[in-house]
Amino acid sequence: MKQIDFSVNGKAVRVEAEPDKPLLWVLREDLGLTGAKYGCGIAICGCCAVHLDGDAIRSCVTPVSRVEGKKVTTVEGLSTDLSHPVQRAWLEIQVPQCGYCQSGQMMSAACLLAQKANPTDADIDDAMSGNLCRCGTYPRIRRAIHRAAEIAAKGGR
Amino acid sequence: MISETKVSRRFFLSAAAAAGGGLLIGSGLEPELIGALAQTQAKDIPLNAWLRISADDVVTLISSQSEMGQGVMTTLPAVLAEELGADWSRVKIEFSPVAPAYANPRINWQFTGNSESTTAFFELLRQMGASAREMIVAAAAKRWGVKPEECYTDNGKVIHRPLGQLAGRSLKFGDVAEDAAKVTPPTSPKIKAESEWKLLGKPLPRVDLPSKLNGTAVFGMDFSLPGMVHAAVMQSPVHGGAVASFDKSSVMGMPGVIDVVPVPNGVAVVAGQYWQASQALKSLKVTFDDGPNAQVSANSLNAQYRAALGGNVWKTVKTEGKAVSGEAMAGQFAEVFSQEYESQFLAHATMEPMNCTAHTTDDGCTVWGPLQGPQLTQIVLASALKLPPEKVTIKRTLLGGGFGRRLIADLPLQAALISRAVGKPVKAVWSREEDMRHGLYRPATLHRITAGLDKAGNPEAIAHKLVSPSILQYVYAPAVTDDNDPSCLEGLMETHYAIPHQRVDFKLLKVGVPTSVLRTTGYGPNIFAVESFIDELAHKAKTDPYQFRRRLLKDERAIKVLDTVVEKSGWRRRAPKGAGRGLAITEAFRTHIAHIVELSVKNNIVKIHRIVCVIDCGVALDPEICKNSIEGGTVWGLGAAFKSNISFKDGRTVEANFNGFRIAQMDETPPIEVHIVNSGTKGMGGTGEVGPVTLIPAVANALFAATGKRYRSLPLSRHGLKLA
Repeated sequence: MKQIDFSVNGKAVRVEAEPDKPLLWVLREDLGLTGAKYGCGIAICGCCAVHLDGDAIRSCVTPVSRVEGKKVTTVEGLSTDLSHPVQRAWLEIQVPQCGYCQSGQMMSAACLLAQKANPTDADIDDAMSGNLCRCGTYPRIRRAIHRAAEIAAKGGR
Repeated sequence: MISETKVSRRFFLSAAAAAGGGLLIGSGLEPELIGALAQTQAKDIPLNAWLRISADDVVTLISSQSEMGQGVMTTLPAVLAEELGADWSRVKIEFSPVAPAYANPRINWQFTGNSESTTAFFELLRQMGASAREMIVAAAAKRWGVKPEECYTDNGKVIHRPLGQLAGRSLKFGDVAEDAAKVTPPTSPKIKAESEWKLLGKPLPRVDLPSKLNGTAVFGMDFSLPGMVHAAVMQSPVHGGAVASFDKSSVMGMPGVIDVVPVPNGVAVVAGQYWQASQALKSLKVTFDDGPNAQVSANSLNAQYRAALGGNVWKTVKTEGKAVSGEAMAGQFAEVFSQEYESQFLAHATMEPMNCTAHTTDDGCTVWGPLQGPQLTQIVLASALKLPPEKVTIKRTLLGGGFGRRLIADLPLQAALISRAVGKPVKAVWSREEDMRHGLYRPATLHRITAGLDKAGNPEAIAHKLVSPSILQYVYAPAVTDDNDPSCLEGLMETHYAIPHQRVDFKLLKVGVPTSVLRTTGYGPNIFAVESFIDELAHKAKTDPYQFRRRLLKDERAIKVLDTVVEKSGWRRRAPKGAGRGLAITEAFRTHIAHIVELSVKNNIVKIHRIVCVIDCGVALDPEICKNSIEGGTVWGLGAAFKSNISFKDGRTVEANFNGFRIAQMDETPPIEVHIVNSGTKGMGGTGEVGPVTLIPAVANALFAATGKRYRSLPLSRHGLKLA
């Protein structure tokens, strides 16, 4: 067990954990943040995507020791009141069906939009093809990313 | 998937009786808040089993159906709210317990599946909402001393406004709820006409969405109890095998490990956290007895299917006209044409792996989980734990996908037994690998279709031979006999093509791998075969595949859907150079659906340019939810057509994660248009499963149009084809 300090959604946290325990399970089991989901455990499905210093990463294969001193953002950190442009667009387009993958989808989308304010369809293909959705909501995710770009451009954060 | 046989009805009536309890009205409910637009602490007054009204005007609507993404916890409560005249911003939704009041009225059995939540509950819920409305109106009219006919409800209020008067008076629902509850429920309340609807027929804000967007939604994996421990489960890797021995000492002492517990077909490591349990499970020394299926492989299964198709053991399940068999057609028609089609094994692969939480004590058992089959779960657990059913309480979380897999109580039973063994509440989880290797798979199928044609190439006779393992065995055993399973035959028994002589022969195959219901059930493989074959006949007759189908179809709704998809897709205009278009149509789950796919192929890379889909599900109660479902089903179909495949080796499932079992992804998803035809509330259909049904043959037919090559077996990856 090792003491590891980092920040989650703007708050400093300290956990006692095995250094190789994946960040996903530290978030879910040690910090009680269940927005990031377990889907595959091998960085294929994207349900566990969170931001590490602004980059979208797969928390299911990221040892918690790697995040020491860094900033982690989870879906809970986008906003709790659904005010983030990605959340607003997801709600407006009614993207989710079962919703299990959508935390990861939104975190990947938020990262894309932070890097490219007005992504093309090709940009969306590149950024989002590693986030699987068994319900098949991709057409709406694509629309919602374009819509989130519009909302953000109009100053909606 | 379910036919209403007398035997099954009897079984479920007795099963429901065994489940105990009379009609549950209001106070018997144990609130399980699952989604809400409104909150209240005030006292709730039940008007019937489906709705309660609080003193501060919050209307609580009961969802008997599980929410697995299909939007049912929005749409069915909206039926109640519509009839009641409720303010949608002041409702909250709860899942029902297991009780006879919440059984599917069509078969008297509580489950969520078969795309029939809306079709089975729509009329009942209209009546329950209307009944409550008339009780509220009667109570208010009495208080005002006026005639009930001069009163109506709207937006959470009951209003008195006699004919001809512009202004009226009103009371809030909460003001009259207590009096309304004392009114005798009317026996035949007046149902609103579609033209009067304010909530139905248009998109509503889904009640489950806010929580799904900020991490607060509680799926089974997210459910937690004080003092809860976690179990990681390993089952015999060979289907039908069992644990021979395990060495508890190999993991005791590892971080967090509490116990190692045998479960049916496997063993579970219990620890303080799931991560600890899953790590310890990897170190557990365990041996298995492989059982009788250790030699089962893709090759052995293929040989079994082929032997059955070539054999002479058949059950003739449909005869129309002369019902001539394929073999007997020679010489009777101008020409005889025959082809074979194959669909593959598929896994449900819900994004949320299988999991369930249980707390078993001497007094009873409570489970909390992502369940499609609450009543079956209650019966299975009561039987295994030797408890009366009323001592087994079933509570539902949101489901991270279902697709039929969560109808079965295999994991809930494991959770209950583990909890009993360790004396604590336990959440049992299958890793993704465990989940995929222990699927109850959509059975692969093998078809031979033979047609007797007239001189112009029109079919006069058709004979279909189907080889398939069981679909209903685990979810509706009474409907399955030694040689028949009605779900396997869906789409073959009720075709809308007017062909005078029809025959269907079936061979129910017993295989050494588990097979069960999966989105599209029998319709998927059968319509792939039928719609591919009809397309082949059209091309053989040198007739436009649309015109060929148009002439054979007699059903008005089917014709309207076909004409609409042709119009919306621009079918009559020539396809772009190098591209081909494919069409498929059917009725499945009571919904008429057609797809047109436009694609081109270069070096085996398939570029899909556009997909147009038209459905007629009667009335789309929430058109956005229906469209999302059909879009998603279309995407699912692309995965199933091109990529998804479960195979077997040495009795084991080969594919264990999403790197082996592939599903469609964003960059493979083309523009998809969905159009809805409204044919009225008389013929309501389901939309949860139909999406993939016509998409898959439409793809195969488009591939033929584009390349001249006919693909008759799935997935298309086996022919080297890949989505661009």
